[in-house]
Amino acid sequence: MTSNASLDRLIRRVSAQVRRRRIEHYAIRGLFWASLPAVALLVLKGGLGPFGVPAAAGVLVVGVLFGALWGALKRTTRADAARLADRAFGLEDRVATALEWGERADRTPLVDALVADASARVESLPARTIVRRIVPREARFLPVPVLIALTLTLAPALPLPSPRLPDLTPGGADEEKEQRTGGGLLEERSKPEARERLRPPAFEEREFQARSGASAASTAGDLSAVFKDTSLASQRPDFNSFLKRGDERLKMLEQVDRLPDLASDFTASQYKMVFRKSKALTGGTRPDQISPQKLKELLEEMERLGRKGGNWSGDVGEGMEALEGGQTDRAMEAMQKALDKMRAQEDAQRSGKGLRGGRDNERGGASRDRRGEGGGAGEGEDFGEGEGLMPGKGKSSSPKGEASRRLQATPYDVGVEGESRRGRKDGYDTNMTGRGGPMASRLHYLGVIGQYRKLMEDAITREAVPRDYHAQIKDYFQALDER
Amino acid sequence: MTDDGRVREFVTAFEGLRAEVEKVIVGHREIINHVLIGMFAGGHVLLEGVPGLGKTLLVKTLSESLELSFSRIQFTPDLMPADIIGTNIIVEDAEARKHFQFQQGPLFAHIVLADEINRATPKTQSALLEGMQESSVTVGGVSRPLPAPFFVLATQNPIEMEGTYPLPEAQLDRFLLKLRVRYPAIEELNAIIDRTTQSRHVAVERVMSGAKVVAFRELIREVPVAAHVRDFASGVVMATHPQWADAPDLTRRFVRYGASPRGAQALILGAKVRALAEGRYNVSLDDLKALVAPALRHRVILNFEGEAEGIDVDTLLGQIVDTVQASTTHAREPFVR
Repeated sequence: MTSNASLDRLIRRVSAQVRRRRIEHYAIRGLFWASLPAVALLVLKGGLGPFGVPAAAGVLVVGVLFGALWGALKRTTRADAARLADRAFGLEDRVATALEWGERADRTPLVDALVADASARVESLPARTIVRRIVPREARFLPVPVLIALTLTLAPALPLPSPRLPDLTPGGADEEKEQRTGGGLLEERSKPEARERLRPPAFEEREFQARSGASAASTAGDLSAVFKDTSLASQRPDFNSFLKRGDERLKMLEQVDRLPDLASDFTASQYKMVFRKSKALTGGTRPDQISPQKLKELLEEMERLGRKGGNWSGDVGEGMEALEGGQTDRAMEAMQKALDKMRAQEDAQRSGKGLRGGRDNERGGASRDRRGEGGGAGEGEDFGEGEGLMPGKGKSSSPKGEASRRLQATPYDVGVEGESRRGRKDGYDTNMTGRGGPMASRLHYLGVIGQYRKLMEDAITREAVPRDYHAQIKDYFQALDER
Repeated sequence: MTDDGRVREFVTAFEGLRAEVEKVIVGHREIINHVLIGMFAGGHVLLEGVPGLGKTLLVKTLSESLELSFSRIQFTPDLMPADIIGTNIIVEDAEARKHFQFQQGPLFAHIVLADEINRATPKTQSALLEGMQESSVTVGGVSRPLPAPFFVLATQNPIEMEGTYPLPEAQLDRFLLKLRVRYPAIEELNAIIDRTTQSRHVAVERVMSGAKVVAFRELIREVPVAAHVRDFASGVVMATHPQWADAPDLTRRFVRYGASPRGAQALILGAKVRALAEGRYNVSLDDLKALVAPALRHRVILNFEGEAEGIDVDTLLGQIVDTVQASTTHAREPFVR
């Protein structure tokens, strides 16, 4: 073992310097990171009372101490210290090599000379600090939190936001105003204006006068009057009246009995709803497997729907019995029969309604009577299996028949009762000729035709309308839209 | 003699030898040092430079200052291996009996000057391979040792490439160091003019025997190397390999093949000689840095992009050294680790 006291002393000296620099380094870092919570504590000084500033100072002290402790506890290897000394004193790796080879068993004879040489050089070294100070990056930003902390310490406590919600009621606002008697004149003058601006919008009751040129069919109190008001264009903008008018128009549109029943005819069908559920019976991991529980629920629902005038209760009852007996196939057949009857009944209803206006419902009885005289299938009539209603033709051998053939058979397949008159349609009637001609519309034609057309396009897109019908429907609306 | 005494003797001998060479060679202190380093490290040195820079004169002067046999081989395209190594010839003894006798070639000398080595064919160049690596040659199935110390100093001209045969990588790898002889500075040129155009005769003395050279070679190998210094040498050599995972971007871009393990050996051995020549008992990082270029420049093969971009291998090696030094943990301050 070739050990030398001077080399050991040098290593200890360098290690101590390294430790001291580390303590400085990590203490500064600790001070920076501790200054952040200290600033937070000083911000909350008002809430903490007299403990705010001491707590912040305590956090700073703890941060510095923790950093210093961390730096003091880090180890410095002898090799590191030796290399540091070699570099600092220009010893050309003598100390590091001597320390490393002096402890090795396979050291060469030259190692002893090396250790002696290194020791001699080390003893002649001046005792100076060789480990330079490395300022941590955090030190550049340290003045910021320190200055903030000093400012917050010297400044009065910041007002903290109250946890109570502001009282927005008029009385509460008055009380608050009374409490703020110490406010300046400017504040007192500006407050009423501000409050007036913030007043919630009051809906005005306005008289909607009929526009000049309105037809005689337009009567006072009619909701359709809201569509006739064109005063928005001439008056200055009034948001409240605009809201009210829009609201009333929406209400008007909600009165579905006054509008053609496009949505109910083609989208909200009971049959379709039940049909979808019947399709869902064959879900799951095995598509060919039917859930008896789901089938039972469906049959129960169909039975409930049948109580409102349906003619499929018998089939549903039959299906329930078969299901209780464990005969799923028979239950499915019965359900299918009931479903066919449900569809036939809805087709019958739709053929009598078509795209007629809302008032058709009111005169529906007369229309039905007329169709009934013509020998057509009446509403509520039970169709047998495989039978259906062919619009305008009564019973058919197939449920609906081929669409193209039916179109050729009658132009009124979808219930177009009127024919649009050519020319500009700026009045309030639909300018219909034919059967619908004498019937005066109570709706603003130009106001609702766009909505109807949109409903039509949605229905064509969403529902299973046969392709042969598309052009006919669009032509119909195109004719209505001519100006 | 104590170890300290042996080292002092080496330093004296080294400086004496250098002084003898410098009697004839003006300037080129670094080249002379590196030639001596190559010789004491037990390797061979390739001198590259344009004609007229004193390469041959340097080697000749060195041989004159050593008590060693010296032979000069002028490499030409028609030179054959047997012309270098030697061959078996039929001789007649006193009783008129004829038999084969090995006639030694010029390779059988302590110091061999292979002048313009790149003018010989690869076949002849390869005749040197065994002698340079094994210090022996095989002729007629008989291996014959070369005299110790055996030291090849080769020269080549880098610009006159017509009719030359560039040394293959395997041959280049046998050279411990490759030295680039540059033009002298104006003061050195003036000294050369004064020294060579006057009637003054310079006598070079023999200051070292072959046995001393061999003994010093043994001493060289005892010089200790610290682990971090050895790691640095390994790191530099590995950093010349583009396939290495931590290779610098420059290496990946411009280098086709990196240095072989012989490069690392050359680095350490050369650094040991340099350390001992400076009277130091250990190898320092500075020794390694000083030897990186001569020890590795002929072992790093540039790729096409490197050749096309005109990359200087010395510059590339310098940047590799900087990269390796910056990436090693020893370069960082220990107390922030």
